[in-house]
Amino acid sequence: MLIIALSLPSLAAPAQDANALLKSVDENLMPESYEAIRRLVNEEPDGGKKEFTFFTIKKGKEKIALLYIAPASEKGRATLRLGENMWLYIPNVNKPLRITSLQSIVGGVFNNADLMQLDYHAEYEAVSAGETANERILDLKAKNNTVAYDRLKMWVTKKDTILRKVEAYASSGMLIKTLEFKEDKDFGNGLVRPSVIETTSPLYKGYRSIIVYQRIKPRQFRDEVFTLNYLGRLGELR
Amino acid sequence: MRSLISWLFLVPWMVQAQEVPADPEPFEEKKLEWNGNLDAKYTAFHMDRGSALYKLQFVDAAASSAYLSQYRIEPYLNADYQTKDLGFHLKTHATYFSEDEASVDLFEAYGSYNPSFNSTLQAGKRVYNWGKGYAFNPVGYVNPVKDPENPELAQAGLLSASFEYVKSFSSPHLQTFSLHLVVVPPPPDLLNRYAEVQYTGFAVKGYVLLWDTDVDIIGFYRKDDRKQLGFDLSRNLRENIEIHAELSYSQGSSMYSITNGGLQEVRRDQYSSLAGFRYLHESNTTIIAEYYYNGGGMNPAEFETYVGFLTNAANSGNGVVAQQALGVSQRYFRGSTLMRDYLYVKLAIPEPFDWLYFTPSLYSIYNLNDRSFLVSASLSYKPITNVEFILWPTILTGTETSEFGGKMVRQRIEAWLRVYF
Repeated sequence: MLIIALSLPSLAAPAQDANALLKSVDENLMPESYEAIRRLVNEEPDGGKKEFTFFTIKKGKEKIALLYIAPASEKGRATLRLGENMWLYIPNVNKPLRITSLQSIVGGVFNNADLMQLDYHAEYEAVSAGETANERILDLKAKNNTVAYDRLKMWVTKKDTILRKVEAYASSGMLIKTLEFKEDKDFGNGLVRPSVIETTSPLYKGYRSIIVYQRIKPRQFRDEVFTLNYLGRLGELR
Repeated sequence: MRSLISWLFLVPWMVQAQEVPADPEPFEEKKLEWNGNLDAKYTAFHMDRGSALYKLQFVDAAASSAYLSQYRIEPYLNADYQTKDLGFHLKTHATYFSEDEASVDLFEAYGSYNPSFNSTLQAGKRVYNWGKGYAFNPVGYVNPVKDPENPELAQAGLLSASFEYVKSFSSPHLQTFSLHLVVVPPPPDLLNRYAEVQYTGFAVKGYVLLWDTDVDIIGFYRKDDRKQLGFDLSRNLRENIEIHAELSYSQGSSMYSITNGGLQEVRRDQYSSLAGFRYLHESNTTIIAEYYYNGGGMNPAEFETYVGFLTNAANSGNGVVAQQALGVSQRYFRGSTLMRDYLYVKLAIPEPFDWLYFTPSLYSIYNLNDRSFLVSASLSYKPITNVEFILWPTILTGTETSEFGGKMVRQRIEAWLRVYF
């Protein structure tokens, strides 16, 4: 009994430490409530490119909404996520449709789990998984099965706790995609973080997706912004 | 019209040429924005020349073959002007077959004003899309008539004025409440400009997001028309399963049938309902299935009488009788759900075999009363920004006196080119 009692804190400590680190990673990536403009460029093996631009707003740990602002073919489409509830708004017919939380809304290597990402520490439990000379490695396990990726492996800089790389795995252990975080940029308000996320996937050989953050700004929103009624009006917030 | 069409064709290609700038400018905010698309649609039909509807439709335009084609273009032009509290929104649509056969529709034109953050006033012509069903909406009392073959197609709105109020709560149980009131002026049937105030219609929708479930209670009232009350709900059962349902009660709803060779209107109370689900398989295939009970539809005996009426008119050899029957059919028996029990199933498989931007889907509308059905595949491919190709074959099957088997088209294949700007 004594041995167990003594060993419990030592087992729990690394997990607490890892989860605290994960929380710091989140804080260094995004303000808790913000607006952001992102360009997503899908590059294809033949050199072809497709580009999307999104306006995203987030409040707290559970509310996030995304509006397509380009290209014209997608403009006005929007998705809203409130915890595990998710809706898709189709501007043509002025209708929000409840969709399954794992539904993909944009083609290519990225899916909506990447675009509608809530805080990592809200969705994953972390444990320490080693380190390199400059980085700590975390192993993340999804807290429930509504999360798109069952497990993540994450590389975080020791010096300033900035995320550098994420590998996403399915529950079978298969590597689904790799995200690399590059080109640190000062977005103002004390936020210095990678401005480019490059994604490759063994499932889409030769394809690459790049997300470029153009603007990230802390912003407070009324809760009513994150409702079905507001989905057709998200553009008013730009 | 020609210059407009030329312009619509050119703009997307101009936009395409500027794609992916090497060093993008920061995003620029705009108050007034124009956008739209041009659909060029070619359709080949295999007609059923023996069907009553074909004989009535083509009574004065005999074709030497059962294979017909149609080519049309449909420009959509939209404008949105938005400030913090004021907005103006315009959606137009045109259909062009030839210089002699073209039309322009005003789908939406409305202004909006936000008296407070929680409330919005709107007036003009706008589209409402109430209800949770994908292909059918029994509680869509102010919706445009939905085409279950293409539920995401833009349609004409309703001349109306509305007020909307929304309030969010931090409670884990009740998260959102909203109220939507719509006033629908009566159609101007006096000199095509005036209408009697007493026939103004009122619609209301109360919505709550309660225990992670969307629930709407919807009503419609007009003195000289049906009175309707219904509710809908939708909820995610699991991370990959969504369920939805609608139930509608309609008092004094007009139902049409053929009695003694003539049109008969009966007003009676009826229920309609819908139950469905959306399931996402781990292969990324989405299945949408819905059962629809159309309480205002015809039963098999009534439908048989209706088909007999069309057949007699088609075989009468009398042009006036044929025209009258066709008019009755087009005005009172429109749409693809004339009977009571329907099953809708759709499978969508985005990017199969890692073929990016290609989304094939397969759907069927099955008439459970006469076992006729329609099966269709929509193959959408968006290889280039703002350009979409759609190939859309459809087969209709059933006996000659059934709903889908009795239509004048046996098979059709559509090829769309859609460019956006």
